[in-house]
Amino acid sequence: MESCLKVKVGAVLLPGDVFTFIKTDTISLTESLKDEKIICGPGLRRNGDDVVVCKSGVLRHKNPNLYWVDSQQRRYVPVKGESVIGIVTTKSGDVFKVDVGGSEQASLSYLAFEGATKRNRPNVQVGDLVYAQFLIANKDMEPELVCIDSSGRANGLGVFGAGGLLFKGSLGLVRRLLTPQNEILKDLEKLYPCELVLGMNGRLWVRAATVQKTLIVANLLESSENMSAQQRRTLFKRVADGNL
Amino acid sequence: MSPMKLCVPGEFILCSTDDCIPGTGVYMRHGYIFSSLAGYVLKKNEGEELPVISVVRETETQLLPDVGAIVTCKVTSINPRFAKVHILYVGSTPLKDRFRGTIRKEDVRATEKDKVETYKSFRPGDIVLAKVISLGDVQSNYLLTTAENELGVVVAHSEAGAQMVPINWCEMQCPRTHTKEFRKVARVQPEYLHA
Repeated sequence: MESCLKVKVGAVLLPGDVFTFIKTDTISLTESLKDEKIICGPGLRRNGDDVVVCKSGVLRHKNPNLYWVDSQQRRYVPVKGESVIGIVTTKSGDVFKVDVGGSEQASLSYLAFEGATKRNRPNVQVGDLVYAQFLIANKDMEPELVCIDSSGRANGLGVFGAGGLLFKGSLGLVRRLLTPQNEILKDLEKLYPCELVLGMNGRLWVRAATVQKTLIVANLLESSENMSAQQRRTLFKRVADGNL
Repeated sequence: MSPMKLCVPGEFILCSTDDCIPGTGVYMRHGYIFSSLAGYVLKKNEGEELPVISVVRETETQLLPDVGAIVTCKVTSINPRFAKVHILYVGSTPLKDRFRGTIRKEDVRATEKDKVETYKSFRPGDIVLAKVISLGDVQSNYLLTTAENELGVVVAHSEAGAQMVPINWCEMQCPRTHTKEFRKVARVQPEYLHA
């Protein structure tokens, strides 16, 4: 079965495609019997003896035996442990309601900030941007966010956002920008110095020296999703030369 | 023995305590008997000196969950603090109406109560065996507990849709996808397990 998956690496798969274990009736005397084990990543699911595709996309492979489907998606589904950018919508009692782009608003307790106590409340207003991490995220309960890590320190999480621009991209774009040593960010560093916050829910926030530069950086990031590396480099070069 | 007449709560039943003994569904004030339910007045002759007056909603009395009774319920929603359930059976008799119950986070297990996560103990749709600890007041539901070895999740379905098999007291496995999920599993006595 692993051989029939390996053949399809890089091919486009649709939900419902099935890979079955081929039971050979004759045992070859020349090849040794291998114990095949496959790890199913996102987009693949095991159904008895078959592996079924449940998302449309391109099949990817990582040695030794990890397979997954790379899919395009703009709608975010909250997952525990992911850091997202949220917008505070209401303050009710001890809890803020934060919009993260999912099916439900997430709750953020006012005690989940660094140095927050019952007397010392954090300075969070309706409409603020928060960079927070999911503590609870599953399909049966309301998602819960926190702005501290397990040791109690902020570590980059919290309220931010004065003077920048928040815009939306696809989830795949954010994942590409978050890979270490990726080329888009390397090219961007050479262009303008800027501050960048990436939320795994598809939201990006940029701040550069002037408003015009901020807008240019935002447009570059949005358009670099669908461009090949060569096209992107020519575009960045045009901007650097001041022709845009 | 046949039902006599309809009455409403607060209605005066034509009997004083000299003539009859109060039964269920009635109360006494100033030496007279009044009804506390809306239903039929039943006068039963016990064979002793005085007949017993009671008010019943329907011809058969419904079995109500009492404190200490083992009930079978279905989880409807979960919350980090508690789980809400619908009570379906009291003992082995099915109920006509579904009563609502609550299982608080600290009543899920007997040990390590503060480390309990409701998401790892129950999920919506699970069938749970629980014990009633309190009837609750007017607005709150029955309070239930699963803090015993024999109480907990009996039937659960995995995310793939198949019925799961218990492995140990805190895990169940799906036979189709072989993924394990966390539940607070009940240790059912072997004589109650069907093949």
